Formats: sequence, structure tokens, C-alpha cells
Amino acid sequence: MSALLELQGLNSFYGPVQVHFELSLEVRQGQIVCLLGGNASGKSTTMKSILGLQRPRSGSIRFDGADITGLPTPRIIRRGIGSVPEARRLFPAMTVRENLLMGAYARSDKPGIAADEARVLALFPRLAERLAQRAGTMSGGEQQMLAMARALMGRPKLICMDEPTMGLSPLFVDRVLELIQAINREGVTVFMVEQNASLALAIAHHGYVLQAGRIALQGAAGDLLQDHRIRDAYLGGAATG
Amino acid sequence: MSAWFDYTVNGFVIGNIYALLAVGLALIYGVANLVNFAHGSVYVVGAYIGWAAITHLGTPLPLTLLCVVVVCALVGVAIERIGLRALQGSSRIAPLLATIGIGLVLDQVVQLVWSPDPRAVPMQVPEWRIAIGGGTIGALDLLIAGIGCSSAAVLYGFLRFTKLGWAVRATAQDSDAAQQMGVDINRVNMAVFAIASVLSGISGLLVGMYYNQINPAMSFEATLKGIVALIIGGLGNVPGAIAGSLILGLTESYGIALFGTSYRNLFAFVLLVAMLLWRPNGLFAPRRAAAPEPMVGTFIARSLPVKLPRWVVPVVLLAAALLPLLNQPYLLQIGANSLMYAMLALSLTLVAGTVGQVSLGHAALLAIGGYASGLLALDAGWPVALAIPAAGLITAGLGTALVWPAFRLTGHYVSIATLGIGEIVSLVILNWTGLTRGAIGLGGIPPLELFGVDLGSVQGTYWLCLVVLVLLALLQLRLLSSHLGRTWRAIRDDSVAARSHGVGEDRYKALAFGYGGFAAGISGAITAHVYSYINHETFGASLSVLALTMVILGGMGNVLGAVLGATLLIALPEAFRALAEYRILIYGVVLLLLIRFRPQGLMGTV
Amino acid sequence: MLEVQGLQKRFGGVTAVADGALTLREGELLSIIGPNGAGKTTLFNLISGLEPPDAGSVRFQGQDITGAVPEALAALGIARTFQHGRVFGNLSVLDNVLVGAHTRLRAVKPALPLLGPLLEMALAALRPPAVRAEEAALRRDAEQILARFGDRLLPRLHQPAFSLSYANRRRVEIARALALRPKLLLLDEPTAGMNQTETAEMQEVVADLKRSGLTILLIEHKLEMVMRLSDRVLVMDNGRRIAEGLPQQVRNNPAVIEAYLGHRHAGAEPVS
Repeated sequence: MSALLELQGLNSFYGPVQVHFELSLEVRQGQIVCLLGGNASGKSTTMKSILGLQRPRSGSIRFDGADITGLPTPRIIRRGIGSVPEARRLFPAMTVRENLLMGAYARSDKPGIAADEARVLALFPRLAERLAQRAGTMSGGEQQMLAMARALMGRPKLICMDEPTMGLSPLFVDRVLELIQAINREGVTVFMVEQNASLALAIAHHGYVLQAGRIALQGAAGDLLQDHRIRDAYLGGAATG
Repeated sequence: MSAWFDYTVNGFVIGNIYALLAVGLALIYGVANLVNFAHGSVYVVGAYIGWAAITHLGTPLPLTLLCVVVVCALVGVAIERIGLRALQGSSRIAPLLATIGIGLVLDQVVQLVWSPDPRAVPMQVPEWRIAIGGGTIGALDLLIAGIGCSSAAVLYGFLRFTKLGWAVRATAQDSDAAQQMGVDINRVNMAVFAIASVLSGISGLLVGMYYNQINPAMSFEATLKGIVALIIGGLGNVPGAIAGSLILGLTESYGIALFGTSYRNLFAFVLLVAMLLWRPNGLFAPRRAAAPEPMVGTFIARSLPVKLPRWVVPVVLLAAALLPLLNQPYLLQIGANSLMYAMLALSLTLVAGTVGQVSLGHAALLAIGGYASGLLALDAGWPVALAIPAAGLITAGLGTALVWPAFRLTGHYVSIATLGIGEIVSLVILNWTGLTRGAIGLGGIPPLELFGVDLGSVQGTYWLCLVVLVLLALLQLRLLSSHLGRTWRAIRDDSVAARSHGVGEDRYKALAFGYGGFAAGISGAITAHVYSYINHETFGASLSVLALTMVILGGMGNVLGAVLGATLLIALPEAFRALAEYRILIYGVVLLLLIRFRPQGLMGTV
Repeated sequence: MLEVQGLQKRFGGVTAVADGALTLREGELLSIIGPNGAGKTTLFNLISGLEPPDAGSVRFQGQDITGAVPEALAALGIARTFQHGRVFGNLSVLDNVLVGAHTRLRAVKPALPLLGPLLEMALAALRPPAVRAEEAALRRDAEQILARFGDRLLPRLHQPAFSLSYANRRRVEIARALALRPKLLLLDEPTAGMNQTETAEMQEVVADLKRSGLTILLIEHKLEMVMRLSDRVLVMDNGRRIAEGLPQQVRNNPAVIEAYLGHRHAGAEPVS
């Protein structure tokens, strides 16, 4: 298995403040990889850097064999990355269907888009019932599903999810996790940023733990789940007792 | 009865013209979060291109329209490039200031190419009128309504059924998310600026035909009317903008019917201010306070003020004090002018820079000061030496009271509200004939004197201005170094955090406007006594923009910077007399270059 | 001292806080924990007057302060910090802290209607001895507060806040809140983005404040810190309270572990 996405020695800044210190990680083809960490640990900035929303000062980002560092976001998306942004970020005044079709904005193969719409709706039957509803009027869990479905409409090789379970009720959390696995089984590589460590590790193949802009811990998800150091790195901070 | 029908038709037609303007503003605000202050200038460009095509090339109507469409689309693309794309990552206020600069440049180019004189646009529509009920409808009325309605239909189809239209809507709702769907925001912005500019240009051409006259000065009013309609409908709301335009058109038309032509604009601006106060999100949005702009510390460019060696200021001051000894009246005249402008810049740098309330109506404070001092001297017989400080106090009180309702607004809304309030002041001066003598203006204002000492000479004026300016600057520096300075700047940097620490925003904004009104009022008063004649146009809106340019040039909030900015902008064009014709054009270009390349100004923001 | 009942807040279709309720006694440190999006910060905003609640009530020292504006709450002695740190970027470190002391200005702010503001301006310009003395006292106090953070901030008194590191900006924010001499301090994730050493330092600072008798409401993700500092812990998920109690009780509550860490407790002591 080769690396589909590879971050090498990233140093990012927010104004004068350094957010990433020599950050490196890789996401292998076909896997689910999660990046864990507390608030302000630099998780979201990692996502922004991959999507081209923020340019690292140094270091490189490679996707599917090509350097995408500093490319504008639309061109990165067109190379085959789908995004499920933090807090979903749907187009609230557009209908569910319009949101889905916005997900296919970068494509022009009409028959393919129609086929994918059918495929995605089969995966998310709840959305099929609400195609004409405005996205902003749906519940949080439904919105999360729409955000995932929207990203799939672009037929991505890699799907990037920023905190997909945030603010969801336990019922929906389980559903979202199952869907992430289903998406992955269809051959889409998943990179997710999560705060909820055990949820993410339960479905991931590989995990990284970010702390104050540095990778504090990494390994196979199963090992990390058992590793008591994760608690110090991720929750503890000043864990002394 | 028939008159009312005509007024309704007239209001509807004018409303259609406003709609062509306001729809573009709404589209631009939607995708770029920017009120495009150059919008009226494109309207003027459209009107002149149409006029030129008809008179020089003899084009028939469809071809005339095509010329306007092509040129205005290109202008729109240029505005997007210069005013928006080039400023990505700049402070929040930068694009707004840039569109003001672009508007200035466009207006000046039109004036230089076609002269400031009014032109008559040949009628390209048959002159028949149909009698309906008691009134009549002409072919032009139908043409304007037709273009208005078909533009709305085309726009609806574009937004609803085309891919680019979807991208426009998606960008307006969430531009970050749109990018993550592969939408090229720059292309969307460019398309929207082009479409908006085309509509604006067509509107200009139609107005030219409707009133049978065009002139470059129309741009300012067009921008304002478009903004009023936009605010009525709600910023960024396209159908709202159309409804707002029709409401504005009808209100104006009935207003004229009831009170006469000179009140027309007063209605528009009173409507604007009322909307900002009671329904800042427009008639069609739920009644809530305007959405906060959650930008923290990005309002102004971050920089440290330039540190000058200790000796520089005293030496420059000494040189300035000794300038009259050179015995060069012309030089002194320029000097005195610069000093009067510097007082205005001091006032604005406090309000716009230190407190972050970018006022676009600051010239109104000059007008209040000028009229107050002039009337006190003329009608009440006060000595000039008392009238001037009294005028400063009156301006402080009146100015603060007028802006008070706008204190709870932020960002763009402050600029729009102050612009509207400024226009209301000038219209009240025009219409309150009993007090201000209306359009005739105030003549024979006594020259400067200080308890019998005549200061009417160039030297006298210069020295007085220098002393007053130094006193005002010292006072301002003193206030800035007190707790007021940090409180004002805290409100600017993050008003939510400031309030959470017990800072009452209204009180400190009022104090800033009070001091600002005092300084500007004195400046206006001295100007009135030097000119000896003022009218409602002496202190026009272009002066507000000039003052803002000075403040940005010097560095927002920077006292020395304001003085330097005023001196440079007033004195330099005089040094190159040959370029006098291009003076305002140069101001506009300077403003644009500064915003792009040195946003912190020459002396740095404070 | 603080009593919150039945607070509700909805944004569009999403309920941020469904049933916010807590009581806080004088001198107590209560921590609110819960996963991202649980509604902790929204609850803070409702208590501190940044957003009006849709329903419910907040009482402070027996007084109803539901929906009061932030400046009124500051005057009552409630100070807060913000989740991502909202310092005044262009103000120096010292000025940031002095703005925090705004409610303590007396000499320069005569409590007179209408005339008060005018006198304030005059006093700011003339600076009679009383005003100078007050300013000097506040300045000394500010420096003392900043000294709580060792030499992290003292050497940077006159640097603009935008030039500081993230951790230092968070410290400035806390110093600014302390300058208000609060009776109640709301801290929203004071250690976010800090490394271990910095977190340990911050923990000491908060422990110090607690020892001095300050009542504190703390939102924090770092569980160890919460366990060591808190008198009681309140756990939120999905906008409502799911557990409350002593740190030890909460730590072993399965519902809490599930909500906060997920279904399976990550990093738990290896089950042998």
C-alpha cells in the first residue's frame, strides 16, 4: 500500500504564532486514518493546509503522487479530495438536492453524476426523502449525513472529515461511524480529524495524536486504543498523578 | 387623480432604475461581503459610453446597449481585480476603502475624457404616450420597466438553473464551503462584478434617457440610492433589493408630490437611517441586531508606529512657525490650507482610526461648524474669537447627537450610516431656509480676528491655524495617553471583549465623536471665516473621502500621521501646478496604492 | 453565589444548550467538561451576557441577571476569558490588563448622569493628583497580576499583544480578567494549545487563584487538570447536563466516560 496523502515537515503559522512544528504524517490508500488532539492542538490547521485554505510556511503536502502544497483549494478538490468541513458548512438556503449537486460541482460528466446521486442516496436513504427540503432546516445529524453525501458526490479518492461526530446525539454518532466505514469499504480513503479518541480509533486503521502542533504519538489504531500514554498526550497535559 | 397615477408610474420607473443598481450591490455583497462604493461610478461610465456611442457612432438602441454591456463588464472585472482580489488577506476595511478609491478614479477619468459639463442623451425611443385612466405612460417608461423586469427574470434563471449561478449562491451562503466543493471563488467574484456592473451601466444609460441629461457628478447619488435600496431589502438579499428599490422609488415620487423636489433626497436618507436603526437586516429578515462581524484585531493593519528621533517634531514645528518670515504669501496660503485640513484629519483619525468607526460623513461636521460660527457672527453679532470655539462645542454636541443612533452599528453599517447622516445634514442646510438661507448660502462672514487683532491676512490666518492645530494635537495626544486612549482602542480591536470588561461602548464612542466634532467644528469655523462665503456644497462628500485618504496616508489613529497626511495631500498637488487638473485623480490613485502596498500608512497605525 | 436554571439556546435548527443548570457556591471551583459541541461555550456565553437565552434564568448573588448586558455583569464582578483568546491585538500587554481594570476607575469617572462623561474627558486631559494616583495604583496592580505568570509577561509589558505567542496571549487574557478583581471568574479552556510545561504552569496559576478564595467556573478538556483542581465537575453532552459530582465520582461514571471519551474508554488502564 502506498501513501495517498503525505505531509512532510510542515511548519504553519497563524500570524506570528507557530501552529505546526515539523509536522509529518501519511495516509495510505484504502485506509481510515484519524488525527486526534485537544482544542487548539493544530488539528483544524492540518485540515486547512491539506485543503489549501491555509498555506504552510515550509514543508510539503503530496497527494496521489503530486505536490499540492500551496495550490488553490478548487484545484486541490479537482484532484480528487472531498471535504466534510467542521460544523458541516452546508449551503443552508439551498435544497438537499442542490447541496448534493454542489458536491459534484467540479465534475462535468452528467450521466456519472446522475449515477452517483442514485448511489449516494441509496447509502443515505434519509436524504432521498428530503430532496426538496432546505438544508438549513434539517437536524444536526441529518445535516452531517448531507455533508458526507455531498463530499461523496465529487467521487473523491480521499475524503477529509473535520470532526464528523461533533455535537451529534449518540444515536447519530454510531450511524455516522458506520457510514464512514461503509464509505471506506467502497474504496474511498478517509482522513478524519477527531477529538473523540476512542470513537475514531474504533473504526480507524491508523491514528496520530497531535499535541501543541507536534505529533506526540502514532501507531495502529488497535495499539493506540490500548496505549495509556494517549491519555497523557491527549487529555492529560500536566498528568503527574 | 391623474397626477397620482403619473406619480405612481414615475415612482415605479425610478424604482426599476434603482433596482438595476441595487441588485448588483446585493450580488456583490452576497459573494464578497463588500458594499461596492464604486457602483455609482460604473453607472456614470455606462451613461457616458451610451452617450458617446449614440453621438459619435450613431448606434441604434440595441447596439448602444451592447457597447454599454461590454465596457461595463470590463470595468466590473477591473474593480474585482484591484479592489478585491489584490487585497485578499488584508484588513477587513481595505476592500471598502479600495472601492471608494476606484470610484474616485473612475469619476475623474470620466470628467477628464468628457468634461464635467452635463450632456444631453439623444432619445432613442419613440416619443408617443398612451393615456390610461387619467395619466399617461410613454414608450420609455415601458422600455425601462421591460428592461428592469427582464433583467430580474434573466438573473433568476441564471441563479437557479446555471452552474455558475449555483456557484454564486453557494459562495454567498458559505464561501469557504463553496471552495471545498471546487468552486473557484475568484471566478465567481469576477462574474458577479461583471454582471453587477453591466446592470449598473444600463441603469445609467436609461436614467440619462429618462432625464435627458447626464453628468459625472451623478455617480455619488447613484451609489447612495443603490445602497439605500439595498439596506431596505437587506444586505445581500437580491429579491429584497428589488423590493427595496421599488419602495424607495415610490416613496421618493410621492414625497415629491407632497413636499416638492428639494425634499426628494432627504426622504431617501431618512429612510436609510431609519432602516439602519430599526431593521438593519432589511425589511424581509427577522428583526435582529445586525450580525456581528467576528473579526478580532484585523480591522486595521497591524504595525508599530514609526519612531521619530526626538528632535524632529520640535524642529519641524519651529520651521513651520518661522515660515511666514519668508514672506511668500502663496506658500503661506497653502500652509494655512494644509493646517485647516490637518484639523479635520485629526478629528477623523480619532474616530476612524482610534475607535474604528470609519465615518464617510465627516465633512458634515465641518459644515455644522462653519454654519454655526458664521451664523453666530452674522446673526447674533458674536465676536469671531468667541464664535469659533462656540462653533466647536456646538458641532461636538450636535455631531454626537446625530451619530448617536448609529453607535450600535459596526463595520460597513457605520460607514453607510455616517454617509447618510452627512447627506441629511447637507440637505437640512439646503432646506432650512429660515436659518441657513438655503441655496443662497452664507455671505459676508467676517474675517478672522482675535479680540480686535486682525488675523485676516495670510500671515494671521496661518499663525492662528498653526496655534490651534498644535493645541488640538497636544490635547488629542494627551487624551490618547490617558485611560481613554486604551479604552477607545480596545473597543476598536474587540468590542465584545471590551464590553465584557465593563467598557460601555456608547459612552466612549460619544466621547470620541464629541472630541472629533470639536476639532472638525473648529476647522469648519475657521474655514468659513477665511472663505467669507459658504453654502451647502462647500463641505461636500468628496471632502469626507479626501479626509479619509489623509488619515490612511498618515496611518490610522496616528496624530502626527494625520498632520503629515493632510500636509502632503494639500501641499504636493500645489507644488505640481501643471497637474492641477489631475489632483483628485491623484488622490484616488494614492489611496489605492496605499491600501495595497502600505496599509499601515506612512507613520504606522496606532 | 451563581445559580443557573433551565437555560436554553437554539441556533437555527440546532439546539446548542437544551437544559443548562448549575449552582456554584462561594469559593468553589466547578469544572464543566464534555466533548466538543456539547454546548459548554454557549452556556458560558449565556451566563456572561453575550447571547440572550431563549429560556431559563441566571442568578448571581441573589440577583436576577438573566439576559443582562456584559458591561453590567462586569460591573457586578463577573469576568471571563474566551475560548480562542480575544486579546486587544494592537494594545500593549500592560494596556490590555488596564482595560480589564476599567470597572475599577473611580477618580477619573465621576458617577454623574450626562456630566459624568464630560468630566471624565476633562479629567483625562488635566489629570489632577487623584487621577494620577489612581492610574499609578492600577498600573502597579496590573504589574503584580502579570507577575503571577513569572517572567513570561513582565519583560513584554510594552509589546503589542499581536506579537505574543499563543500561550502568552492566553495569559494576558487571564491577567486582564483578574484586573477586574472579579468575584466570579469564568475561564474557557485556559490551557488550549499549550504544551505540558505551559499547562502545568497554568494549573498552578489557577490553583493559586482558588487558594486565594476566588470562585471559578472552568471549561477544560485536560482531564488531569480538572480532576486536580475541581471541587465539583459537571459533565455536558448534547446541550444538557449528564452528570455532576465530585471529581472521583465523575471519573468513574460510565455515562461520562462514554460521552467524553467515546464508547470505549481510550487510554484506560490496560485491562488485563
